[in-house]
Amino acid sequence: MSQPRNVLLLIGSPRIQRSNSYVIGKFLAEKLEEKGLVSEEAFTTRLVNTHEGTEKLLDSVDSADVIVLATPLYVDSFPSPTIKALELIHEHRKAASPKKPQLFVTIINSGFPEKEHMDIAIKILQNFAEASSFTWGGGIRVGWGMALNGEPLSEKKGMTRKLTRGLTLASVNLSTGQPTSEEAEELASALFVPLFLAKIMTRLFGKREWNKLAKENDADTKMYDRPYELNRQVGTESTSQGKTETHKKADLQDNQENWRTI
Amino acid sequence: MKAVIFNGAKEGDLTIKAVEKEIANQLIKEGWEVEPLELRDMRIANCTGCFGCWVKTPGICVIDDDGRETTRKAFQSDLLVWLSPVTFGGYSSDLKKALDRIIPILLPYFQMYHGQIHHEMRYKKYPKLLVIGVQEPGVNYEETFIALAERNMLNFRPPAHAASVFQRDENPETIPAFVDEQLKKTEVIS
Repeated sequence: MSQPRNVLLLIGSPRIQRSNSYVIGKFLAEKLEEKGLVSEEAFTTRLVNTHEGTEKLLDSVDSADVIVLATPLYVDSFPSPTIKALELIHEHRKAASPKKPQLFVTIINSGFPEKEHMDIAIKILQNFAEASSFTWGGGIRVGWGMALNGEPLSEKKGMTRKLTRGLTLASVNLSTGQPTSEEAEELASALFVPLFLAKIMTRLFGKREWNKLAKENDADTKMYDRPYELNRQVGTESTSQGKTETHKKADLQDNQENWRTI
Repeated sequence: MKAVIFNGAKEGDLTIKAVEKEIANQLIKEGWEVEPLELRDMRIANCTGCFGCWVKTPGICVIDDDGRETTRKAFQSDLLVWLSPVTFGGYSSDLKKALDRIIPILLPYFQMYHGQIHHEMRYKKYPKLLVIGVQEPGVNYEETFIALAERNMLNFRPPAHAASVFQRDENPETIPAFVDEQLKKTEVIS
């Protein structure tokens, strides 16, 4: 592949610029800009549901030499709009063969500390890239997203040293038209603390953080609510504690449920 | 007994429709009530990643649309079926928009399960889960699709489950036997 000139940073998170996907992808895009590439940003959630948005997405993909998809892990794969983007891009490229070689690189991030949670998602994206005539540019798996909290990587200092070094290394590969090296992928995918410690901290600090957020919303006493338990035939626990008006409304809907058969 | 079918097919997908009908027919014969949901026609907003279903209205999505109802119906069923075209080894965007909205049936807290961190379960009992993909000729994503479904099982922990792929170019007359096998694996018929 010749020297790339353009990079498209495609963000798959519905949280847009507030997302970990954005801060990680942005860091890589800026490193590529330092090497002379021109970067463009696009957000799947803003594009895939309208004709104009779809046209814009497809034009941006066609123009890019390197496409970096940065997306969160949702239910073991990606948010629905990201899958929609893949479906649209694939259909488009089936209809009109690509005019130039293009690298498709992915960065997936997850709240879980183990990078293995993202293996299947990476495989799906690799399948997409090959089926859509892209050159597979590699897959980086960033675990333990709670440590990043959507803040710029440069502000996280030691916590992101391995990640930023890995992304910097990846930018060297990509700027010369090469896929990310195994070394870059491994470095960028490495945690900044040993895994066993990350697992302990995830459970301890995770609970504290969720409870803090719930308290801010006056919902901390309702965290274990089971609003949909009422109609279950097998259900032994009381569900009457801590019910909000929203839950009571949901219960009423339960009782009005109208099942049909075909 | 109730079954809910999440149909994540595109319009005009006759193979997935045939699989859906066969599942319904076999279950109805056994006395089940069946509710198929054509997800592409439903008003299901995309998950916004706000975590409101965990920290504002725990257990219920803050978006009041069909997505809230699909989650409620799915959880309150005895069998939940996911049908999807195999999409690069994963699910279609139409199926996934409903699955992205299903996370309030879990807790935000973390626990160790099978050696990895997963979310804690909100409820004691979940529906059985059957996942079926329909794959186009000329590709082989079956292994990835099954692996994805198996990972989902670690997160939703159904009392019984099965995941399988039906080839689109297979003889449609084999659908009843295929469905029969899957329902038996899911332990909903004997």
